[in-house]
Amino acid sequence: MNRLIRSSALTWALGYVLLGLAALGAFAVVLWYAWNVTIFVAREEILRDDAQRLADRFNRDGVAGLTAYLDARVGMQIAGERTLLLTDAAHHRLAGNIAAWPQGVPNQPGTHAVLLQLDGKPTRMLLLRTPLPGGYQLLVGRDLAFFVPLEIRFTWGLIAAVTFLCVVGIAGAILMRRQLLARVEGIRQTVAAIMQGDLRRRLPTGRGGGELDTLSQTLNGMLDHIEYLIRGISNVSNSIAHDLRTPLAELRSRLEELSLNRPPAAEAFAEIDAALADVDRVMRIFSALLRLAEIDSGARRSGFVRVDAAAVAAEVVEFYEPAAEQKGVVFSFEAAGDAAVAGDPVLLAQALSNLIDNSLKSVSERGAISVRVGRRADGAVEIAVADDGPGIADADKPRAAERFFRGDRSRASPGVGLGLSIVDAVAKLHGGVLQLLDNHPGLLAQMVLPVTAAPPGR
Amino acid sequence: MKILIVEDNERVARFVTRGLREAGHTVEHADNGRDGLFLAASEPHDVIVMDRMLPGNIDGLAIIEALRKSGNRTPILILSALNDVDERIRGLRSGGDDYLTKPFAFGELLARVDALGRRNVDHGAEHALQVGDLRMDLLSRRVSRGSRAISLQPREFKLLEYLMRHANQVVTRTMLLEAVWDYNFDPQTNVVDVHISKLRQKIELDSERPLVRTVRNAGYMLTEHDE
Repeated sequence: MNRLIRSSALTWALGYVLLGLAALGAFAVVLWYAWNVTIFVAREEILRDDAQRLADRFNRDGVAGLTAYLDARVGMQIAGERTLLLTDAAHHRLAGNIAAWPQGVPNQPGTHAVLLQLDGKPTRMLLLRTPLPGGYQLLVGRDLAFFVPLEIRFTWGLIAAVTFLCVVGIAGAILMRRQLLARVEGIRQTVAAIMQGDLRRRLPTGRGGGELDTLSQTLNGMLDHIEYLIRGISNVSNSIAHDLRTPLAELRSRLEELSLNRPPAAEAFAEIDAALADVDRVMRIFSALLRLAEIDSGARRSGFVRVDAAAVAAEVVEFYEPAAEQKGVVFSFEAAGDAAVAGDPVLLAQALSNLIDNSLKSVSERGAISVRVGRRADGAVEIAVADDGPGIADADKPRAAERFFRGDRSRASPGVGLGLSIVDAVAKLHGGVLQLLDNHPGLLAQMVLPVTAAPPGR
Repeated sequence: MKILIVEDNERVARFVTRGLREAGHTVEHADNGRDGLFLAASEPHDVIVMDRMLPGNIDGLAIIEALRKSGNRTPILILSALNDVDERIRGLRSGGDDYLTKPFAFGELLARVDALGRRNVDHGAEHALQVGDLRMDLLSRRVSRGSRAISLQPREFKLLEYLMRHANQVVTRTMLLEAVWDYNFDPQTNVVDVHISKLRQKIELDSERPLVRTVRNAGYMLTEHDE
């Protein structure tokens, strides 16, 4: 029961039922009042006319005339709905359809709604008392019992409406609650399953596009991101375990061997230099991971400015030109049109530098690398690096940007396997994507940065 | 040069102190912020090496700010384990002159300390730089060696200018990346080395005496002197 009361769907529904009842009540009160007033005034009017007509006859024909008229009317039974009585000053009946002056008639002339004892029965009447000249009294009344069935019908109608409202409202509330509860329960179960570690579960979403569906879709989006981050973390911990362990193990055995064997100085120094190189490699992996964490956190977005991607690219290309020249690589750069984006110039430079670096490592001597920056038809800025090296196997492409992933074709080349991860993270930070395509032969890596990445100039 | 090191890690402090002394500098060491501030304020130094995280949760930046407020202009190299770009910017904004992330190679530290000490000496606007017979006119942007004019790309000019301003000092690849290209990331390949070798081809003909020397495990040095 407690749960039933606390259920928000039920509370809402009950609130609506109460509101409905209040509206119905207000309606009934107004109707009742208006009806009473109208009926009362109309009836009073009729009684007044009637009494006036009788008084006129009295004035014209005297007591005898009125008495005769009243007797005639009573005799014709047309007074059925009318109570008529003419008495003298001492309240003795002269004519009419009641036997005697009833108890409880107010002394003042005028219209009164009174409860009279008529033939021993209590009767509610609307009564008009008219004093006639000579102390004669005329009573013209109407039995209000004629309205009782109407009142009863009105009351029953009201009760029926209230009952209907309550039943429909509560039934609706229970149905609504049940449906809502089923959805909420579905969400709760999914979330509970996720909390227990089943990260692949997602909330059910209907085609309806209602509020709950929208909420579920948003939550699913959040879950996707959480799963991505958690998988990233677990990948990173696995990869750290592997990729840092290897150079650390090498370092350790190198130092241990040095300590055990005590080789001659020249050899020892060579070993120490090699050990330092191992440490540097570990540090490189570390700083790349830290950089990735920094990018992934999105904190750099606060420092976004309006950047000309073409200018950034031109500098990076110039930076790599001598290295390409030294390897005999044909290195070309073309930039077309305005390529302004909201972004972080240093990160964009680093991302492009990683792409060029990858290409430089993979192409053979006298190979070709071309860098293109331009705006696509949909307004997105595209930074593309194409080479004619071995490329990335199709099977490896989806995983190529994962941390520490190294395809078979790149395993032999130097590097820590974080370059494309950083490019991917930079593209994502700018609201874009990194696409790895086939260049027939070679690799076409392009960062597509939408114009809506972030408000410019902030 | 007289150098003050404010660093609480004993091993790092000993390693740096010994290295700087071997390089011919006079070194003082404080292992906490209070002594560091006292030494820095009471005696003149050429360079201060300041760790960021000091005992008692004192941020080295607070000490730097206090020194700068009191009018002390000694060049300061900040040592920190925090490598965020934002942290770097905060460090430089608080009054530090250079920022080095832990762990570091000693060569990197020495090169940066030398560069800072030299900056303290070099005052006044120079119009020309000269190392041996290599001459750079900063106004007309002309470079010549002896009577031979050398034509350089803008970036090569900037690279050579940096090397000449730090003549007879070791400059590391990271320092060159930061100063010449404004990049604070690791470009992985030996791109800087290639730029240097291209520059060498232009300023050192076969018949001329080599000027740019490669310093093992550290970087480069532009000097007219033999090893």
